[in-house]
Amino acid sequence: MFSDPRDYQIVFLTTFLGLGIMTRDWSIKPELILTLILSCCLTQLVLTSLFKPAENPVFALKSALITSLGLSLLLRADRVSTMILAGTLAIASKFMFTSDKKHWFNPANFGIIIALVLTPDAWISPGQWGDDWWYLLLFVGMGSIVLKRVGRWDTSVAFFGSYALLEIARNIWLGWTWDVCLHKLMSGSLLLFTLFMITDPRSIPNDRSARIVWSIAIAGLAFILRNYFYINEAIFIALFTISPLTILLDRLWLAPRFNWYSSELKA
Amino acid sequence: MNIPRIIISLCLACILVLSCATKAIAFCGFYVGGADAKLFNKASQVVIARNGDRTILTMANDFQGAVKDFAMVVPVPVAIKREQVHVGKRSTIEKLDAFSQPRLVEYFDPDPCAPTIREEMKSSAGMPAPASAPKPSVRADRNLGVTVEDRFKVKEYDIVILSAKQSDGLEKWLRQNGYNIPKGASELLSPYIKQKLKFFVAKIDLKEFNKSGDKLLRPLQIAYRSPKFMLPIRLGMINSRGEQDLVVYILSSKGQAELTNYRTVKIPTGTEIPEYIKQEFGSFYKATFQKIYEREQKKVAFLEYAWNTGNCDPCSSEPPTQTELKEAGVFWLNDGNSSSKNIPPNFRRSMPQSNTFITRLHVRYTRNKFPEDLMFQETGNQENFQGRYVMNHPFKGNLSCEAGKKYQQALRPRLEKEASNLANLTGWSIRDIYTKIDFPNTPKKADGNPFWRNVWGDK
Repeated sequence: MFSDPRDYQIVFLTTFLGLGIMTRDWSIKPELILTLILSCCLTQLVLTSLFKPAENPVFALKSALITSLGLSLLLRADRVSTMILAGTLAIASKFMFTSDKKHWFNPANFGIIIALVLTPDAWISPGQWGDDWWYLLLFVGMGSIVLKRVGRWDTSVAFFGSYALLEIARNIWLGWTWDVCLHKLMSGSLLLFTLFMITDPRSIPNDRSARIVWSIAIAGLAFILRNYFYINEAIFIALFTISPLTILLDRLWLAPRFNWYSSELKA
Repeated sequence: MNIPRIIISLCLACILVLSCATKAIAFCGFYVGGADAKLFNKASQVVIARNGDRTILTMANDFQGAVKDFAMVVPVPVAIKREQVHVGKRSTIEKLDAFSQPRLVEYFDPDPCAPTIREEMKSSAGMPAPASAPKPSVRADRNLGVTVEDRFKVKEYDIVILSAKQSDGLEKWLRQNGYNIPKGASELLSPYIKQKLKFFVAKIDLKEFNKSGDKLLRPLQIAYRSPKFMLPIRLGMINSRGEQDLVVYILSSKGQAELTNYRTVKIPTGTEIPEYIKQEFGSFYKATFQKIYEREQKKVAFLEYAWNTGNCDPCSSEPPTQTELKEAGVFWLNDGNSSSKNIPPNFRRSMPQSNTFITRLHVRYTRNKFPEDLMFQETGNQENFQGRYVMNHPFKGNLSCEAGKKYQQALRPRLEKEASNLANLTGWSIRDIYTKIDFPNTPKKADGNPFWRNVWGDK
């Protein structure tokens, strides 16, 4: 239907946001969503015109919109200024931390970490999606379409698979019943992260083997941070920490860089 | 038959754990006294004062059995020393309960024939004591893989701190020392032992208890440092057969607290309901809670209150004083920011701010809907929330003026709307509600009382 896979992402993320607001008791307010969208898009426009004047502004804005929707879904804050900071720096990170036309960080992930570290009022709500099967199916169904379109489903599988294995092993060791493990893995936030955040082709390794190693490393770190350091934001911190290795892995595994249009041609 | 009763309350402190089990009483945690928490007569109440990784946990015991049968086992993340244990006051938790309970607000309709004056009023709105049990030898304890880390007395409580290597060893130790552990305890204790938690075991020294003159047990408070912020409810479900209510008051210097592994949902609020509910507000709220609990498929936690402890609007009770907050475990109150002093009752407080935020979470859990222990987090969310229900008393005086007639005409639809709100919130029959409402004697509008309502009620 759409020629650009990013259009799918925008539609799906907007759908999730709408569903969340309508069916979930969320603390996110419309003015904060608007703030995120505006700060991301304005930063993108300004920085694109300054540093990449040749780039099509419409395409640039799509990326900014995806970032702002991702932030709206995951980040919570008490103040407008926190959202401005998160949105602005998320987009700015794409211009500041870049090598070989790849980003060191996923922009939304960067914005989340910045807000958590620099402000006292930001938080994430990992429990607020609940664990309804309906959401699981919806996420997987819609997410897989997006992933197929951009050809990076392997990061999701490697991350979720290894994270699930670690949780299952711990569950067996502790002697908990299976429903504990299932409940942990059925977190809506975890799936959202798996399907939409660690699949961003501009900040993940180009080669499939490298991507799998990279995803497993994130899963391992997230598992340790969550279960041994009791950090609720474990997955986001793990991605933030491991993400810059993309540059290194790309040099170790020389593979063609992702291009939005080549995937489209393949499709 | 003098069958020993047991309560096993398991409180985790790496984060925090609390629960209990008894043959005679199938609930987890503690009976709760105090205003509205009494409505849920199997509710446990816990106060968690937390700042960074420092926690003071208060467990309220409204244990109804013979005091000599009381026993409590609380897993804690670190070995607790004598100075980390304190016996608090029951009134502290009652105060927090009264301050944060869902409330009814009443307004009186002004005389439509006179200049408007709006008046607002708030509605007031086991096992036998171990003293007699033979003391097992240290060697026997070691054989079981159980180490007695410490043993001390705090007021009426005799406390033992244990560490264990094997859950069956711990279970044996507890049995040998007279704790009648329910079947299945070993299996549930095992994960906590593997996570290297210690066990805080408390029982009552009857002599001290009798000396104190209290009829009910006083809350036990434990202070510890741990990054874990959780309540292990799994242990309390060892022999539970039904739903258990837990009210958790979280005191934080940051803002609202929420669960990270279950959804936290706000209870309905702000609804206008009929005036007769004033007489039965307790049963109204119980029914409202039950309805939303079922609507959310019995698997979420409910936010009943979230507010800065320095003020309230409307107040169901005076805000807690600095002394009361300290008694509840708030240990960061040294800068004198709290300013809720000497404010006359019913005064609308909007300005005073304290550096403590209270969150009241109400969890009704069962084994199959809450498989995992409760994990919490503090957030920077300073948004206030309260469960508040509004009743408007119709004006009863002379309505002979033109405005009065209009008022009377508008009154019936309003009362009907309130009845319908009430039916929606509680699931009560609209017919029963109608019989309790004092409708004015005005000609009913054709569409105001359709003929089918007499047969089918309000749809």
